[in-house]
Amino acid sequence: MTARVPMLPSGALLWLLSGFVVLLLPQWDRLPPWLIVACLLLAGWRWLAQQGRVRLPGRWLKLAVMGTLIAGYIATVSGHFSVDTAASFFVLAVGLKWLETRNSRDFFVLFFILVYLAAVNFLFNQGIGWTLVTLAGVFILLVALQLLHTPGTSRSPVSGLRRLGGMMLKTLPVVLVLFIFFPRMAPLWSVPLVSGEARTGLSDSITPGDISSLAQSSERVFRVTFGGDTPAHRDRYWRGLILDRFDGDTWSQWQETPPTRLGRVDLDAGIGNLANNQYDVLMESSGQRWVYALDDSRAVSGNVTEVPGELFRLERPADTSIRYRMALEPAADDAGSLSPSERRRYLQLPERGNERSRQLASELADAADSDLAFARSILDRFRQQPYFYTLRPPTMPDDPVDTLLFDAKRGFCAHYASATTFLLRAAGIPARIVAGYQGGSAGADDAYLIVRQYDAHAWVEAWVEGRGWVHLDPTAAIAPDRIESGLRDAMAEEGSFLEDDWTSPQRYGDIAVVQWLSLQMDRINYNWQRWVVGYQGQSQMDLMSRLPGNIGLRELGYITAALVGLAMLVAGIIAALRHAGGRRDDPVAMLVTRWVRSLEKQGVTVPPGVTPGQLASLTARQAPAAGRLAQAFARDLNNHYYGPDSRRLRAGGSQKPLALRVMRRRLSAIRREIQRSTRNRPAGRESSSRSQRLS
Amino acid sequence: MIPYNPGSLQKFLNPFGHGPRSKEVPLPSIRDTARRRWRAWVNRRIPRDDRRHLDRRSIFILPTGAGLVFGLLLVVMLLTGINYQNSLIYLLTFLLGALFVAAMHQTHNNLSGVDVALLKPGEGFAGDTIVFRVRLQARHDAPAIDLSSDAMAGPSLSIPGNELVDGSLEIPSRERGYLLPDRIRIETRFPFGLLVAWSWLRPATSAIVYPRPITPIQAPEGATEGESVEADQRSQGQDQVELRPWREGDLSARVDWKRFSRNGDMVVADWQGEQGSPRWLDFESFPGADHELRLSYLTALVLERHNAGEPWGLRLPGLTIEPDQGDQHRKACLRALATWQRTPPERGAGV
Repeated sequence: MTARVPMLPSGALLWLLSGFVVLLLPQWDRLPPWLIVACLLLAGWRWLAQQGRVRLPGRWLKLAVMGTLIAGYIATVSGHFSVDTAASFFVLAVGLKWLETRNSRDFFVLFFILVYLAAVNFLFNQGIGWTLVTLAGVFILLVALQLLHTPGTSRSPVSGLRRLGGMMLKTLPVVLVLFIFFPRMAPLWSVPLVSGEARTGLSDSITPGDISSLAQSSERVFRVTFGGDTPAHRDRYWRGLILDRFDGDTWSQWQETPPTRLGRVDLDAGIGNLANNQYDVLMESSGQRWVYALDDSRAVSGNVTEVPGELFRLERPADTSIRYRMALEPAADDAGSLSPSERRRYLQLPERGNERSRQLASELADAADSDLAFARSILDRFRQQPYFYTLRPPTMPDDPVDTLLFDAKRGFCAHYASATTFLLRAAGIPARIVAGYQGGSAGADDAYLIVRQYDAHAWVEAWVEGRGWVHLDPTAAIAPDRIESGLRDAMAEEGSFLEDDWTSPQRYGDIAVVQWLSLQMDRINYNWQRWVVGYQGQSQMDLMSRLPGNIGLRELGYITAALVGLAMLVAGIIAALRHAGGRRDDPVAMLVTRWVRSLEKQGVTVPPGVTPGQLASLTARQAPAAGRLAQAFARDLNNHYYGPDSRRLRAGGSQKPLALRVMRRRLSAIRREIQRSTRNRPAGRESSSRSQRLS
Repeated sequence: MIPYNPGSLQKFLNPFGHGPRSKEVPLPSIRDTARRRWRAWVNRRIPRDDRRHLDRRSIFILPTGAGLVFGLLLVVMLLTGINYQNSLIYLLTFLLGALFVAAMHQTHNNLSGVDVALLKPGEGFAGDTIVFRVRLQARHDAPAIDLSSDAMAGPSLSIPGNELVDGSLEIPSRERGYLLPDRIRIETRFPFGLLVAWSWLRPATSAIVYPRPITPIQAPEGATEGESVEADQRSQGQDQVELRPWREGDLSARVDWKRFSRNGDMVVADWQGEQGSPRWLDFESFPGADHELRLSYLTALVLERHNAGEPWGLRLPGLTIEPDQGDQHRKACLRALATWQRTPPERGAGV
């Protein structure tokens, strides 16, 4: 069973196919590779069918292809259902539709679903680069649609593109007005974009060794703008989560995160000016609820809430980038006290294991006269003995704390934080590991900070009676460079900074041009994300509150409607004016129009597309006295349009004023004669007749 | 006037097409009424004329089916944008929405300013399609303009600015007489096919539809028995011809030019009792036949004579065309046959 290849215009189909490929690009890393290949093959099949090299599949083959691909899809998603997998299925459906594209109705269906595919792209990619790619894809789709409806003309590809571009430029102001004023309502209902796939980022447990994989990633975690001065590198400890439960291998959170209900995160933190002590964080999607904040912070925007442990949480996992705002406020001095259950929690250790470390803890505790002195003695030990900070630590399968402290003496932040916490707890001092990021590099012009995955860090907090939680960073004792200026400098000797990531611009930070370029790109993207992507309810309200009047959502609705109405009215008026004045651009054409009109006023029927010569003979019949003059005028006109100078004139040169004046004078004489002719002849003689039609 | 057509006469007497036994007389449906009113309104707005300059007074514009689906798509996209609080989806929706409005202007402008003129309605035989040539012209480029009549789709034309483009529209004819399409539709779906703008040309000049030629089974000569003697005379050919001097009004084809070249006398061949002469095609020579059938016979005979290159004359009740030959004569006869007892549709007449 085979099907005939239908004749859609090849040009239109080719553009539509290219639009599909362009719209697939932004999803290349999200979709399973086989799906992308399948889509490209299906699109290629359609194109070959168009060229007549193969046939479109008949019913059975089509069913087979469909069944295979859907089976592949089901195997890939293996029961996970989320918007993410639904979007993949959507892509698959678009791919299959190519085999069904036979007539212009199918073409429209594909156009519509491809436009929606563009919208789906925006769910997953909001960077300025991918936005431009997606918009280009939509542009290509529109070109395809235009080609479908402009058959034939050879000029259409170029002039069509120009026309479409012009159209988009003209509508831009309206689009911007709508974008700014259209009321941003709260979600009506919603399914979060939870995806099953693992993301790079901090996890909620540390098996010493984990963070080193983050250290090999230069992916952006968040960007911060400070209202006042940016704190020094060594003070920028971005606290994310607390790991306080140790099972001998792995540190994890004591409290299980309560399961989240379906719903959406409030993405927006407003756009009001930052106060001196405030900072604004734009966090990339992480799929997690926790957010990062400096010590002594307080939530300013409503989308984050504080939880015990001086940490901050979102209502729901962040499935897109999120902006929140914090303020630095030195905590009140009352340190409070630990409840017995808390104390138990922060002293928890496995029953057995790491015996040498326990021994060391008790020795050090005997020597120290206070908890603080004990802590200091641990750090001193790290500082004085040959401990090394490295991204290539040996594996430590058994008694990792013992191995690190006594045998290997090589590790990175998670190893040392784990060991320190172990020692503190072994000595009876409540302690916990804090995981987050430390440092961050400056963005373009030092306007903001960029924190990347390789800034991931783990450090320790110990409870000191009377002082509360005290910050301890063993890494600072071993590799001060890591804390003072970052991982790059700390790893300068070892050469292990981003050693596996050849494509990251951060790897080539010492090359000024690369660095400059990557920072400029990042700045553009940052501003794009803050002001365009992040322009949501709170930002809109902040912006509107600067306008006079009390503008709420309802008023915004009215304003939008009024502005759109106004825009359409103006467009209509301009169109009408241009139509009325359409003939004014060519003064000679105006003369012809006047001539025709004066004849018509006397009842002469002038056929459309009449030549000057025919007009002259019509005039001569109506007003014989004007015959010779009319012929001369017709010659003038023919000279103007077809004479030797005509090319120059049409190319934009201006008519010589003298010649134009002569023509004007001739025309008014002709018109006088025409008017006189009716007065002189009896009214009954109707000069117009069908037989005069010239064709 | 009631055209000669038994079917339509019956319809005239019984407009609802039901027998007298039908108890209820159904009212015309609301849809029909609405359509009729709309047509009447359009016809008032667009008087009959062979030329029309399309402007915003006579251009109508509506979204196509695809346009409606596109609108629905925009709503769905807006909902997606709201639910996922995605500014970029908002942006895309607004962009496409604004383009839709801009496309509305483009579609309208594509048609606006186009001059349409009916050049020459064609002629043909009943049952044929009659060609109406339409000339279009615009000062701007006007791509993708479709012509159609109520009955049939026509060509799709692309008009470069300031150039003349002709298109032919074929309209099927059913019976002889004047054929005046109620309206010729000029429409465009440019640029995206999401909107359709259209206007109508309501031509004032009718096409002429000749009767369908039907070759008579009997030769017309033997039509009346009483004329057999005459028929004998006629069968002997030109020997019976009377020659008489030329009078004003005599056709040049009938002058005996041989004699003229010999001695300079203008002598005209005249037949005795031209009634029923082979040169004359007469409406009356088919007694008993239906009028329309007679016209069809005559049409066939006209064509036969013309093809044979013989001269002929035509007699219809109230109309006589003197014998002659040639294309002009053929055309005059066919037109006479087509329009016999038909009134031309009046210029500017209503529906």
